Amino acid sequence: MVKARRTTVATVSAAAILAAVAGCSSGPGTSDSDTSGSGEVVVTCATCQESPTDPFLQYNYEAAQRFNEEFAGDYRIETIENPNAGSGDDRLQYYQRLALADDLPDLFQLNSGEIKAMQETGKLHDFTSSLDADGDWAASFHDQAFDALTGSEGQIWAIPQQRDAIGIYYNSALLEAAGYDQFPETWDDFEDLAAELKQQGKIALALDGDWATKLMWANLIGTQPGGAEFLGEKIVELDDWGDDPTVVQATERLRDWHTEGYVNSDAFSGDFQSAAAPYLTEEAATVPNGPWFVNTNLKTTGAAEGLYENTGYAPAPGWTDDGQGSVIVSGAGWVSGTTDERELEAVDAFVKFMTSEDEVLAQAQETGANPPVQVDATATAAADLEPLATGLIEQAVDLKYSYPHARVHGPAGLDTSWKNLWPAYVKGDMDTDEFLQRLTEDSASSAQ
Amino acid sequence: MSAFTKHRPPRSASRKRRAAAAEPAGPGGQVRDGGRARRRNHRRPAKPVAGTRIPRGMRGPVAVSLLPGLLLFGTFFLVPVFVLVATAFARWGGLDFAWVGLDNYRQMFDDPVFFKAMVNTLFYAAASVFIQVPLGVGVGMVLALRPRGWKALRTIIFIPFVISGAAYALIFSMFYNPRAGLLNNALGALGLPGDRDWLFDTATARWAVAGTFVFVIGFVVVLVMAEIASIPTEMYEAASVDGASTWQQLTRITLPLLRNVIGTAILIRLLVDIGMFDLVYILTAGGPDDATATLALYAYRAYLNGEWGYANAVGSVIIVIGLVLIVTVRRTFRIGERAL
Repeated sequence: MVKARRTTVATVSAAAILAAVAGCSSGPGTSDSDTSGSGEVVVTCATCQESPTDPFLQYNYEAAQRFNEEFAGDYRIETIENPNAGSGDDRLQYYQRLALADDLPDLFQLNSGEIKAMQETGKLHDFTSSLDADGDWAASFHDQAFDALTGSEGQIWAIPQQRDAIGIYYNSALLEAAGYDQFPETWDDFEDLAAELKQQGKIALALDGDWATKLMWANLIGTQPGGAEFLGEKIVELDDWGDDPTVVQATERLRDWHTEGYVNSDAFSGDFQSAAAPYLTEEAATVPNGPWFVNTNLKTTGAAEGLYENTGYAPAPGWTDDGQGSVIVSGAGWVSGTTDERELEAVDAFVKFMTSEDEVLAQAQETGANPPVQVDATATAAADLEPLATGLIEQAVDLKYSYPHARVHGPAGLDTSWKNLWPAYVKGDMDTDEFLQRLTEDSASSAQ
Repeated sequence: MSAFTKHRPPRSASRKRRAAAAEPAGPGGQVRDGGRARRRNHRRPAKPVAGTRIPRGMRGPVAVSLLPGLLLFGTFFLVPVFVLVATAFARWGGLDFAWVGLDNYRQMFDDPVFFKAMVNTLFYAAASVFIQVPLGVGVGMVLALRPRGWKALRTIIFIPFVISGAAYALIFSMFYNPRAGLLNNALGALGLPGDRDWLFDTATARWAVAGTFVFVIGFVVVLVMAEIASIPTEMYEAASVDGASTWQQLTRITLPLLRNVIGTAILIRLLVDIGMFDLVYILTAGGPDDATATLALYAYRAYLNGEWGYANAVGSVIIVIGLVLIVTVRRTFRIGERAL
C-alpha cells in the first residue's frame, strides 16, 4: 500500500515536472505546422487578429481571411492572438524579446521608430531582393514610401501599409461663428482665429502632450525653410536642437499658444483622448491627426451630432503666405522575422496581396488610411473613399512643404522625454534653451 | 463598562443557551466550552515539529514531492534574481553583452534623475507610513467599537482596495483633470481657484499622486479590526475595574497590542511603495520633469531603451532598499514577537 502510494506520488510529481517543462517550450513564433500535410505553407501573423476597437487590426484580419481563400492549398496565414499587436510602449519590447529568443512571427507590423530599434537585432527580413525581382510591384509604390522603413545600408525592412498626409481637422461651424469661412493659411491668421475663439469661450486647438502636440511641433518646424531638413536629418545629428533656429521658433510659438489659453488645459496627459474629447464635444475648434481619426473618432457615437458634416480637413498654415505644409507618413509597415525560403515565398505573396489595388482600396474604406501604392483614378473614384482623407492627400501634392512627423527620424526616447519635459517647459519651469538641450539629451540617453 | 469593553460584545443570552445546548455534556455533566479546552490541550505537541526526522522509508517520496515546488521556486524566483543581480554588472540590451563592473552603478549615482526617483519613492513611502497607516489604524479602532453602520462603513472603506491600480489611476486622472475634473469643479463651486493642473504642475504633481493612495486605508482597517477582535475582553474589564479611563485603555492596552499588526501594515505598504509603478505610469508617466518618477519607473524607462543591465542595476538597488526596510521595520516593531 505504502509502496503503491510512493509510486503514485513519484508519477504525479514527474508528470507535473514534464507538464511544466512542456508548457515553457512554445512561443508566438513557434509553428509546428509550417507546412501542412498537403504542402500548404503556413505562416504566422501577429497583427492579423480580430479587433472590435482597432480598425487596422480588424482590416488585417479580414484581409488575411481573403488571402487564405485565394491561396488555399499554397499558403495560409495563421493568426496569433497578440496583446501587443496595436501601437504602444510595450510593443517594441515584446518583439525584441521574441527576436532574442529567435522566435519572431513570420509576419507582423512595426512603425519606423520600432524598425530602427529592431534592425539592431539582425532578425528582420530585408525585402530588397523581393522588390528587385518584381519591378512592376516596386514601381507601384509612391515616391518616398520606403523612406522611413529603410536601413542605413539600403535595406528595406518593411513594406508600407499606408501613405498619409496628416492635417488639422476643424469645426467649420465654430470657425464661421468666429468670422472665418475657411481654415487660416498662415500661423498669424491662426492665432487671430484662436484669440477670437477664446473670446467666445472656445478652445482653439485640442492637444494631448504627445502625438498631437508633436504633430503641431512638426508643422511649426516643417513649414519653415530648412524645417524638413531638421525633421529628416538634423534631429539625429544635432547635439542640441536649440542650435536650429526653426526649432526654437516653433517651440516657443507652440508654448505661447498654451500660455495664451488657446489650447485645452488638460493637454499634457499623453493620451490622445485628451485632444479628441474637446473636439468631439465641440468645445475645441481644431485638432491635428491623421485620416484614421474619421473612423476611430469622428464617426463614432462619442462625436456630437452633425460634427462629421461640419468638419473640414486642412493642411498646416504657413509662416508666410503660400507657405502651407503637411506631415507625410507611411505609418506601420509589414515586416517578417522568418528566414525559411518557403515561408518567405508566402510572406512575399501576402505583402503583394496586401498592396494590390483591391486591398489598398478596401483598407482605405475600412480604416481611412490612404494607399501606399498608386491606384487608378477611376478605381479610386468608384471605391467612394473618405473625402476628408482623399481631399488632403490630393491637396498635399501642391503644398510648398512636406515633412515627416518628429517621431519618424527622432531618437527612440523622444516620446518619453517629451511627455516628461513639455509640461514643465510650458508651465515656466525651464527656458527654451534648457528645454531643447535636455530634450535632445534625454531623447538619446539611456534612462530617459 | 468603558467604551472599549465593547470590542467584543458578549453574546446574547439566547445565543449562549443555543451554543450550550449544541455542545454535548462533558464528564461530570459539565458543559463543554466549545472544544476550546481540548484544543488548548492539544495545541502544543510535546516536541516541536520542526527538526523532526523524516522516516527513512519516506525520504524518497518526500524529496520527489518537493521537487516540483523547488523547481518552480528556482525557475521563477532564484534564477531571475540571480540574473538580475549578475547582469547589473553588465551592459546588456538583449543581444550585446559585456561585463562593465560597477559602471552601471557609477552612471546611476551620477544621474540626478535617479536621485529624483529615489526621493519621490521615499516620499510616497513616507506618505503611506505617516498618513495612510495612522489613518487606517485610527479608523480601524473606531470601527472596532462597532458604531451604528460599521459594517457598511467597513465595506465602503475596503472597496478602493479591491479596485485594480490601473482602474484607480484612470479614475483619479479624471478626478484631477484641470478642464473637467471633479476636484477643480468642487473648488470652483467653493469660490476657490479651480484651474490648477494638479498632475502636470511640478509644484503639486507629487502630492496629487500621493493623494490617490494615502486614503486607500481598507486593508489597514481590516487588519486592525481583526487584531482588536482577538484581544481578550477580560483585559479591558480588569483595566476598567482598576479605574483605567477609556484613553488609558486605548493607549496602554489596545495600541501596544496592535504593535505587530501596525508593523506588518507598514512593512507591506513600504514594500508596495518602493516598487510603485502602475499608478505613476498611468497618471503622469513620471513627469512633469520627473517630479513623480519612482525607482521602478526609472528602471522601466531604462528597460524600454534597451539598457537591460542598467535597469537591473536599478532593480538591485530597489531590492537592497527593500531588504533594509524589512529588517528595520521588523526590528522596530519586533514583528512576530508576542505582544504581551
